[in-house]
Amino acid sequence: MFERILIDSLIRSMQVGSLYALMALGITLTMSVLKLPNFAHAEFVTVGAYTALIVSRNVSTNPIIILGLSAIVASVVALVSHITVFRPFEKQKSSIYIMLLASFAVGLIIRYVLFLTADTFDLFDQRIQVPLEIWYRTDNFILSNVFFWVVPTSIVLVIALSLLLNATPLGREMRALADNFDLARVIGIPVERVKWLTWLLVGALAGISGALWGIQTSVSPLMGWVVILSVFAAAILGGLSSFPGTILGAYVVAFSENTIMQVLNFQFGLSFSFKPAIPFIIIVIVLLIRPEGFTQFFKSNRSLKR
Amino acid sequence: MAKRLSLLISLLLLIMIALPVQGQDDVETYVLGVAQPFTGPLGSFGTDFTRGIELAVMQMNAELEASGVNIRFEVASADTEGTPDGAARAVQTIVQTTGAEVIVGPLTTSEVLGAKQFADENGVVIVAPASSGIPGAIPGDNIFRVMYPPDNFAALAFAEIARSRGYENIAILHVDDPFGNGLAERFTIDFQAAGGGEVTTIAYSPEPPDLSGEATALSADVAQLSGSGNTAVFCICFLADAQKLLQVAQIDPILTTVEWMGVENLVSPDLLADAGHAQFLQSVNFISVSFTDTATPLTSPFIESFTAEYGDPPGPFTNYAFDAANIAMLTMLAAGNDGDAVTGMLPFVANHYIGTSVQAYLDDNGDQAIAFYGIFRVADDASSFIEIGTYNGSTGLLEMNE
Repeated sequence: MFERILIDSLIRSMQVGSLYALMALGITLTMSVLKLPNFAHAEFVTVGAYTALIVSRNVSTNPIIILGLSAIVASVVALVSHITVFRPFEKQKSSIYIMLLASFAVGLIIRYVLFLTADTFDLFDQRIQVPLEIWYRTDNFILSNVFFWVVPTSIVLVIALSLLLNATPLGREMRALADNFDLARVIGIPVERVKWLTWLLVGALAGISGALWGIQTSVSPLMGWVVILSVFAAAILGGLSSFPGTILGAYVVAFSENTIMQVLNFQFGLSFSFKPAIPFIIIVIVLLIRPEGFTQFFKSNRSLKR
Repeated sequence: MAKRLSLLISLLLLIMIALPVQGQDDVETYVLGVAQPFTGPLGSFGTDFTRGIELAVMQMNAELEASGVNIRFEVASADTEGTPDGAARAVQTIVQTTGAEVIVGPLTTSEVLGAKQFADENGVVIVAPASSGIPGAIPGDNIFRVMYPPDNFAALAFAEIARSRGYENIAILHVDDPFGNGLAERFTIDFQAAGGGEVTTIAYSPEPPDLSGEATALSADVAQLSGSGNTAVFCICFLADAQKLLQVAQIDPILTTVEWMGVENLVSPDLLADAGHAQFLQSVNFISVSFTDTATPLTSPFIESFTAEYGDPPGPFTNYAFDAANIAMLTMLAAGNDGDAVTGMLPFVANHYIGTSVQAYLDDNGDQAIAFYGIFRVADDASSFIEIGTYNGSTGLLEMNE
């Protein structure tokens, strides 16, 4: 039985870790390129999930169409947030604390718009209409279609993002912004255009991860918020600047929440009620012992901020 | 002459101005506090409950006016946010800003317990229309849980169902809050008292992002228990959590082989909206109980007036908020706007109140003491829940129609 539990939890860690990675990369991007610890990211994730729900009911149950439209809608919401709230604060040269508060405010506004919408159209706790199917089965574990949607999609997107950042002019511009904002402006990088594209990218990542998270669980206005601490823990493990560090951080958090939690429950009877404490414990330990996270492990790679 | 005339006109004007003021002063206003969750996951319940309460107040004020009674009720509401802390703040805000001594609400047992200390210490009466968690059953406090019966009735009903279905062991997954902990604990006692065997419990934190780990642990528990007899799963979960659990359970090689029971909030069309979940629940003979409404002379008038006033029919349990408001107001009319007097008088009034769906009757804890449950399973086409029996909480009698 222990072997089955262990394998099952490892598969789950991989699945959840992939989703955390998608969400956390968005946070790392906003933090390093836009200098914003964006808590509204949680609501971009939820917007993506609600878009997926509506698309699956009214347009198509094809996951590619669902993910595509979720990415577009969440991107638009992210960009509108930038234009209407974050950019005016930037122009006032507001401190990071004010920007942090502004991100909370944006998140709350979006959340309560979602609450009102869900209330009006009875969209609380709904399932995205993508049926669950068993695609691979052995004596010890089962892999569903959700696993094969989540893990490869995340890996492909992470690779695509890495290529974008490392092998395209836009990526170089984004990294220049992350490295030295004023210098980037002086050497003629179109700062505002890069910011717009970054917000679109961040929104798309959140939208896709929200849709996938919704397919895996169910959709409610709080779904992004309840997962955001784990995602921030992953981003903090990545030092809030390193892509590979963030991805590794995402899998470490998912492994802690799933495999380690499962083993502690099975061997020592530790209640699953302690599971929400795990991201907090990770954040505190990392900030105390290794504030730079995993950044140092990936010095040779191209991180966003060198 | 002109001076006298202007003096007379001034006097007349003064009298005209003073008269309505004098009339208004004669009307005494009682503030009825309303503490409900207007935001958060329970926001839709709170909004609908408040409409039910406001309707009761409108009807009562109209009757008082028509009868020439110079008392009017006024609603003062605050948002509990669906949390214990929020409930405490809401009740405190209402009391301190309006002087209200009677509050209708909050919604859940966690919220009611959150507001309890302030209410008890300040002589404020809480009339909760839908709280049923066992930890809320406390004698001698200022909390009255009218209309909706406490979960010890549901625990007995589930224990009786388990006995009648021949379950020897039960694996419970429950939310780690007063509702989940109380029902799991009470069910275990009742199940084992009725000759049941081993019970394992897995608690999960409220509002979990997902429940896949808990599902794996539940599967392990079932595998272990199945070795010593017929085992079933008992899901004491909220609807959204159950959906997350089913997403994993429906492909689990062990959880698909045993029968399932679930608490009454799972008797919802939303649980069957996903075809895979519906088929799974049908295949595991999922069974649940739900507090059955019975028609009373007040049922139709309530639904009709609510629909006429708000355009939509009342949502689930809204009638209990309407009833709770009526019980609170009738008590205040009898005892005055005084918390201590209302505490003493409310059981007498409640015990003589015919509700919109059930007769109110309170036990020594100030909780509803009449419970009558319908027993539900998933229909053969997995599209809806159908009633297959009843459980009478007063007699402990389980009657199955199939």
